[in-house]
Amino acid sequence: MNGLLATMRNALAEAAAKRAALLSAMTIMIVNDAVWVAFWVLFFHRVGHLHGWDSRRVLLLLSVMTSAAGITLGLFSNARRVGQMAVEGALDAVLALPVQPLPFLLVRRVEPVNIGDFAFGITLFCIVGHPTPVHIVVFAGVVLAASVLITGFLVLTGSIAFFAGRGEGGELGFHAILLLGSYPVDVFAGAAKVMLYTVVPAAFVSSIPARLVLSFDPARAAWLVGISALFATAGTVAFTRGLRRYTSGAVWTRG
Amino acid sequence: MSSRANAATRKLTTAARTAAQSVIAERGGIGVAVGFYVIVVSVLSGLWRVAAHANGGRLAGYSAVAITWYIATTECAVVSLNIRMIDDIGRDIGSGAVAVELLRPASVVAVRVATEVGRALPRLTALAVAAVVVASLEAGAPPRPVTLLLAYPSLVLAIAVNIVAQHAFAAAAFWLRDAGSTWFLYQKLVFILGGMLIPLEALPGWLHGAANALPWRAMAYVPARLASGHLEPVLLLEQVAWLVALGAIAAAIFGAGQRRLQVVGG
Repeated sequence: MNGLLATMRNALAEAAAKRAALLSAMTIMIVNDAVWVAFWVLFFHRVGHLHGWDSRRVLLLLSVMTSAAGITLGLFSNARRVGQMAVEGALDAVLALPVQPLPFLLVRRVEPVNIGDFAFGITLFCIVGHPTPVHIVVFAGVVLAASVLITGFLVLTGSIAFFAGRGEGGELGFHAILLLGSYPVDVFAGAAKVMLYTVVPAAFVSSIPARLVLSFDPARAAWLVGISALFATAGTVAFTRGLRRYTSGAVWTRG
Repeated sequence: MSSRANAATRKLTTAARTAAQSVIAERGGIGVAVGFYVIVVSVLSGLWRVAAHANGGRLAGYSAVAITWYIATTECAVVSLNIRMIDDIGRDIGSGAVAVELLRPASVVAVRVATEVGRALPRLTALAVAAVVVASLEAGAPPRPVTLLLAYPSLVLAIAVNIVAQHAFAAAAFWLRDAGSTWFLYQKLVFILGGMLIPLEALPGWLHGAANALPWRAMAYVPARLASGHLEPVLLLEQVAWLVALGAIAAAIFGAGQRRLQVVGG
């Protein structure tokens, strides 16, 4: 555990050392997210309400989504690179270290641009989420659960590369969960809606957490925690099993 | 055409063909692009269809069917391209890798644009087929099938305009050493002012007016407008005009940048 903490500290220090780059990357991502705010404001300005969602609710959804994705892609940024690293034989350096490979890999690299996502999400929550103490606690809890889910899902889809020999599955999973999580689940119907609760659990990444902030429901919260734990476990198992099939590429990287 | 122009055309055609062949040979990339495209179109067009139905069947002048074809086409125009092209070009310029290309007996920017167009065409074709399938299955037949005959050439022009504009943007790296994350911002301009996420007719008046005067609508809105059943061939001329204008700008900036690079390189 000490090794992991030290690794994470180093990764954070590395990102913070390039302060100008960090700030510019964060700013770019904040502007990027602001465009989505503009899209939803324009959309609901034209449409009004849609299946119980209005601009405030969707912006709350966006705040949960960007905060959770900011934690995963910012602090555990290698989660989205598992497939690529497996295919390129770039895990050699990690396997030689006296630490658990997956946790080490996850905390090894900080992506400054996605820290901007996190900052944006928190700011947006403060603006549209009526941040009472209860709301703040629920928001923090659901963001953490959603972040665990996204991380587990990315590791799971990335680990397909160990078995398939190609990394595209991870990339597709990455785009799918972030994209689908950006929309309220109630605008979908039929098979698409089923998919959002199962294969690509985007509903648990944004819509359900946003509803919990708006109106807390213990049963729904338990589902969220359970599904997050399920994907975290599935990701860990897939990565561990995949490592047994990993073929070294004799490539040494800093991960 | 003079023999010199013929030779230049041959070089660019070869660059485009070689790039296209490499993309076709690596089928996994096209498969992923189609998979990603189907997800994006299903989601976004689903949202707009629900919105249209909730607003009496039409929204900003588009029916639910028309808006599905609109979204399928805008996404086709954008997903066909390497999303981080500006970043890649900027890195090549910043690292000096572009200096090697200066040794070739052809314009750097022309070869790069031809290569990117060649790389995009197989994807564009695969995505256009996917667009027809997805839009037909999700919403029904195109509102006016004859407009699809204009939509495909318009899509080709759309990616050409987009590629040329990205080169013009990225050439700033000759001075800044890095195009950094500006590709993010550029993409957002295509998203909103290009009409990728939202038909321009759905924007507030002042923003609609601004979008009409800028080049981004030639990159997504124009082919989508045609595919959604609007027989407006003049839009193709608008794309050609932007292609020529942006091509001249990209060539001028690259030319100035190359001279600077030579000075820096001693």
